[in-house]
Amino acid sequence: MIRFSKLFFCLTIVLILLWQLPWCYAFFAAKPSKIPFTLYSGISGDFISMGQVEGKGMQRRNQSGQVYTQEQTDSLLPFFYVRQLVSDERFPDTIMGVAVTPRKVQQTNFSFRVNASDINAAKVPLYPLMESLSGRVDLIMPEDVFRITANGIEFVRMKSNSVDEGKSRQFTDALIKKDFRFPARRLAGNPTARKDYDEGYLILDDEGKLFHLKQVKSRPYVRAIALPERLNINYLFITEFSDRKTLGFLTDTQNCFYVLNNKSYEVIKTGVASYNPETDGITIFGNLIDWTVCVRTDEAATYYALAANDYSLINSFSLKEEASTIRGLHFTSSDDKFVKPRF
Amino acid sequence: MNAIFYKEWIKTRGYLLLAFVTTLGFAGYAMLRLNRVVGLKGAEHLWEVMLARDTVFVEMLEYIPLLAGVLLALVQFVPEMHRKCLKLTLHLPYPQLRMVNLMLCFGLLSLLLCFVANYILMFSYLQAVLATELYARVLLTALPWYLAGFAAYLLISWVCIEPTWKWRVLNLLISVLLLRIFFLSPAPEAYNAFLPWLALYTLLTASLSWLSIARFKAGIQD
Amino acid sequence: MEKIIECKNLTHYYGKRLIYENLSFSVPKGSIMGLLGKNGTGKTTTINILSGYLQPREGECRIFGEDIRQMKPSTRRNIGLLIEGHVQYQFMTIREIEKFYSAFYPGQWRKEAYYELMDKLKVAPGQRISRMSCGQRSQVALGLILAQNPDLLVLDDFSLGLDPGYRRLFVDYLRDYARSENKTVFLTSHIIQDMERLVDDCIIMDYGRILIQQPVRQLLDTLHRYTCGLPESCKELPLDADFYHPSILRNKLETFSFLSPKEVETRLKATQVPYTDLKCETLTLEDAFIGLTGKY
Repeated sequence: MIRFSKLFFCLTIVLILLWQLPWCYAFFAAKPSKIPFTLYSGISGDFISMGQVEGKGMQRRNQSGQVYTQEQTDSLLPFFYVRQLVSDERFPDTIMGVAVTPRKVQQTNFSFRVNASDINAAKVPLYPLMESLSGRVDLIMPEDVFRITANGIEFVRMKSNSVDEGKSRQFTDALIKKDFRFPARRLAGNPTARKDYDEGYLILDDEGKLFHLKQVKSRPYVRAIALPERLNINYLFITEFSDRKTLGFLTDTQNCFYVLNNKSYEVIKTGVASYNPETDGITIFGNLIDWTVCVRTDEAATYYALAANDYSLINSFSLKEEASTIRGLHFTSSDDKFVKPRF
Repeated sequence: MNAIFYKEWIKTRGYLLLAFVTTLGFAGYAMLRLNRVVGLKGAEHLWEVMLARDTVFVEMLEYIPLLAGVLLALVQFVPEMHRKCLKLTLHLPYPQLRMVNLMLCFGLLSLLLCFVANYILMFSYLQAVLATELYARVLLTALPWYLAGFAAYLLISWVCIEPTWKWRVLNLLISVLLLRIFFLSPAPEAYNAFLPWLALYTLLTASLSWLSIARFKAGIQD
Repeated sequence: MEKIIECKNLTHYYGKRLIYENLSFSVPKGSIMGLLGKNGTGKTTTINILSGYLQPREGECRIFGEDIRQMKPSTRRNIGLLIEGHVQYQFMTIREIEKFYSAFYPGQWRKEAYYELMDKLKVAPGQRISRMSCGQRSQVALGLILAQNPDLLVLDDFSLGLDPGYRRLFVDYLRDYARSENKTVFLTSHIIQDMERLVDDCIIMDYGRILIQQPVRQLLDTLHRYTCGLPESCKELPLDADFYHPSILRNKLETFSFLSPKEVETRLKATQVPYTDLKCETLTLEDAFIGLTGKY
């Protein structure tokens, strides 16, 4: 017994040292990440990076090292700096041969960001389904939420904490009619009233088939989305950008990145080489002409410029991330919201 | 065994009653606050906030079980160490390690009783206003806090029984670091997968007290 | 004679300070053994080693033939232990503590012995021990040991805090108890007068060693104080180790020795110092203790 407790004591000491020493080192020696904010400029055909350079302060430059002033950068990235250009009365009538107005630019601009820690977290499998076509300008949160069980979809009234049998049956029948197999493998929505419009949910059923579900005039709208051959979808994201061009983003089990177009339900593979939502972070700044996609892994940040019309690759480059943490025992990680030991 | 529990009961009965009432009071107050939200803004508001944000509304309970555990250890073992009373306890015709284990067992059982009462109180209110998924989230999120109560009890007992101050400080430092593990993330349900292992480790920390007992028996002094 | 306590070659240090080296002694069954020594000679250390709460640097101790480091719980049943300061659980009342202890000693617990003593204390059975005076607490501790009715009693500084009358009562009680039931007692005390009434054998300790171990009767029969007058010029006397703590004060020599008066005379003559008026006195235990260990 005493031998066991001695052993246990030693083990505890070792674990604490393995945990605390790297932590102390990181605490005192940690440097901020040096990955600069980068956008693709369709005008110069190159990426422009903006970040702190040691001893020189904020610097903007392209990949070949040419340094730009703030004003030059505004002009090279007219979609991003639209408000500055308008205020300086420098906003052009056409950009790269396309007629633009500030209003049109602002409407087609979008940004999208997902971190691995958003994916790797314990979530409550209850989802509010809004009325997509209420006739009102503002969206309102519904009075019920749904869960998907092994047998159907179940709406629970929040006020009384009771199941709405009628609505549940109605929606379950609608899903089954479209050959939906319960339970759902994944589900993506954007349940907030602070958006321009509502597209409901993208749902992957038990067989990996993709569905679009929303509530239109209190009735279910279910659409089975045809997927290209041999596409095994893994993660789903609903976009609901103001230009209504896209419905969502998808990744497959090979970590390829797809765009799901709105209305046509077309699934198009993008030029992004690899994005694994479980380990990588993604940010997208999109505009009328092109998208700048940044995929950050633990080792590198890779920037892709995609054409806004067909999502094909225009240009890309990669920055190595300096590993700042040393090995040891960690309990938390920036990649998830769990506490567990990891070596 | 009854006699051992009898002695521990005499030592701790006042405190246990206080701990029972206080922890229940805090849990009850947390439920009352939830009830106010429901009354003022409707149950929907509660659901929506819980779905949209990383909150479980009972964050005020976070350090209560920890405190309950620490105090129980002090109430139970400081009198034993006062003028080396532990010598009397260990001189009784009963296996010494089993004696210590039973004393710790008594503490763990009383904490368990207290914490289970807390959970019953929370469960009985929450299940009325929240869906299974939501109240499970609240209760699961609070679980590492309550486990920390047990860990704090066992670790502080170990610190108390240790006969020398030098080691007592070292043990306290180790205990604080170990207890930090229970409070590393504010995210709800962050400990779900780790919890069984953490619970096992917590139980094993009872064995640390044996080390201090061995040192006490060897007469190690400052 | 069966040895109840047997210690062999005990050596102990606190840090680098030597307490004693190669200390050996034994206590036979039925004897009342007193451990005497000045403060800091290791009395409490010895009690701590005997009660199993101190691991000596070297040597071993056996009680009832069992190594005290690996003593069976059932053996402890027959050892009554009065620890330093007569500590008892202060959070219990007189009644609670009796109830608690009695559960551990089924078949041997003498509830009456305890309550008899408590009745004399004039305290309510519901009174908490923490609210009692030092002497009352000592009596509770002693009462519990008597109720336990063990074959061996180990008492550290047993007379601590007791009133003179009660001390006398207790000494007599303990002696009768030990004699009539053939109990073995090992004790230390500050007050040597009490010991004389109580102990059969004594161990007198000096710093780092045992000075003597023998029956008290034998000690008091053989150890004498010798005094004599000396000429004014004589400041020191070349006496050997058989004379304990010779001191010269105002031309008068005082020393203690186990030698017979005749032998003392011979030895003094051998020093060729003219002495006068040699006296031989018998001693009390306290005198003997001071004589052997010195006043300082």
